[in-house]
Amino acid sequence: MFGLDYSWLADPAYQQWLLTGVINTLKLAALSSSAAILIGLLGALGLTLRIFWLDALIELFVEVFRNTPPLLQMLFAYFTLSTLGLKVTDPSTGLSVPLLSAFACASISLSLFGGALAIETFRSGIESMPRSIIEAARSLGYGRWARFWRIEAPIATRICLPGLTNILTNLFKTTSQASVITVPELMYYAGQIYNDTFRTLEMMILLLFIYVVLVSIITFAMARLEAFMAFPGYGKGH
Amino acid sequence: MSFPLSYEDKKRAVLLLIVAVVLAWVGIDAASGGAEHWQRVFARLPLLLTGSGSGWPVEGGFALNILLSIASMALATLIGLILGLSTLARSAIIRLPALAVMNFLRNSPWLVLLFAMLYILPFEMRIFGVSVSFPPFVKAVIGLALPTGANLSEVIRGAVQSIHSGQWEAARSLGYTTGQIYRYVIMPQALRRMIPGWMNLYALLMIATALATVTGIQDVLTILSTSLAMESERVIVYFYLTILFLFFAYCYPIAVFARRLERAVKGDNL
Repeated sequence: MFGLDYSWLADPAYQQWLLTGVINTLKLAALSSSAAILIGLLGALGLTLRIFWLDALIELFVEVFRNTPPLLQMLFAYFTLSTLGLKVTDPSTGLSVPLLSAFACASISLSLFGGALAIETFRSGIESMPRSIIEAARSLGYGRWARFWRIEAPIATRICLPGLTNILTNLFKTTSQASVITVPELMYYAGQIYNDTFRTLEMMILLLFIYVVLVSIITFAMARLEAFMAFPGYGKGH
Repeated sequence: MSFPLSYEDKKRAVLLLIVAVVLAWVGIDAASGGAEHWQRVFARLPLLLTGSGSGWPVEGGFALNILLSIASMALATLIGLILGLSTLARSAIIRLPALAVMNFLRNSPWLVLLFAMLYILPFEMRIFGVSVSFPPFVKAVIGLALPTGANLSEVIRGAVQSIHSGQWEAARSLGYTTGQIYRYVIMPQALRRMIPGWMNLYALLMIATALATVTGIQDVLTILSTSLAMESERVIVYFYLTILFLFFAYCYPIAVFARRLERAVKGDNL
């Protein structure tokens, strides 16, 4: 159909490459997403403490990572951490090799980038909590901790979920940029394959298809989670 | 400024302090041998900014990134308007394909779309007998405009849907047609709410222009990786820092202004 030739897909070597690429992409995304959520939680928690210097530091971190290209951040991390950074001498060959691989550098920089986005999302989630709810809880005699665990946290989680979906999909899509610093993920292997077969158009269509499917799975799962957690008055429960 | 300092003032003071520390660090670093590194950066700054060693004529560099972002944003605005209004159409024949296209574009990575445009678009195409050529720059513009347009269509859809339904009913009862309602009632109000989202997207797009280095146009990152390959490894760090700062200095004010506008527009629910 349309003169597209997908016969190369039958080659087990290419299948293996694609599979490895998908697995590495998933690994990178999972690692950096969980780290990003952790950074986001810590950052947002730090902001609620209202310590002015901590507030300033977190704000600076968020603004710097939000307003510079992730690709450049990744290249910078790769360059400073891997090329110039810590080196260890490989005992078997005697060569000095970087302590941090390209994969490690990519996950570190993606975690920081995603973390900056997550801080912002969680902060706005906490901020958009209606004050009247906190006052109502206080008037019912809830203590600080009980109020946080039983009222604020459950509501904030639901408010933050759509934003979290955005972060996760954004981060997943950004993992494709790790191919630029030679992380063997999906995009990287795709390049290898079309350099081999010259079937660029076919590979690109397949690649877009794979990414759209993977991202759609995330979006779908998050939508299900939102529906599952919904309660009247918040998010999907409207 | 009044004493005791308010929370915001204290925060600003800390930020100033951080900037001062960074400047001091740069100064100390320059004094302890970093000065020659910085001199190399300064000598190459015109090259990074305009793509030509003397600063004129503009051949690429950061100026090309800005140009690319403006051209892409113009195209993305067009795409976003068409796509956004199509997703609002009442007829399913228009709405469903538009939704499918929008979701497809939104769910695919920018880099992959850019690569796809690079390889899918031919060098030259004959449209109605006129041959249109697609140099890498045009391919980059299209590749970046597609995802931005899809995101913009969501902004437009959100803004239009945020207009109170009473406006629709009132306009319809006055005998306006759908086109007239959009033109005279909805759009003038929705436009105001779109502007912050539009500006945010522009900042995002500017950041994404760094990806255009894969198309081989002489943007700031390409220049860094090709023309400056002969610089020593340590100097390259200074170059990276400079370019990171360039992007930050360009995008941060836009993002801040967009957020301020957003806050101003928020809450004027008619």
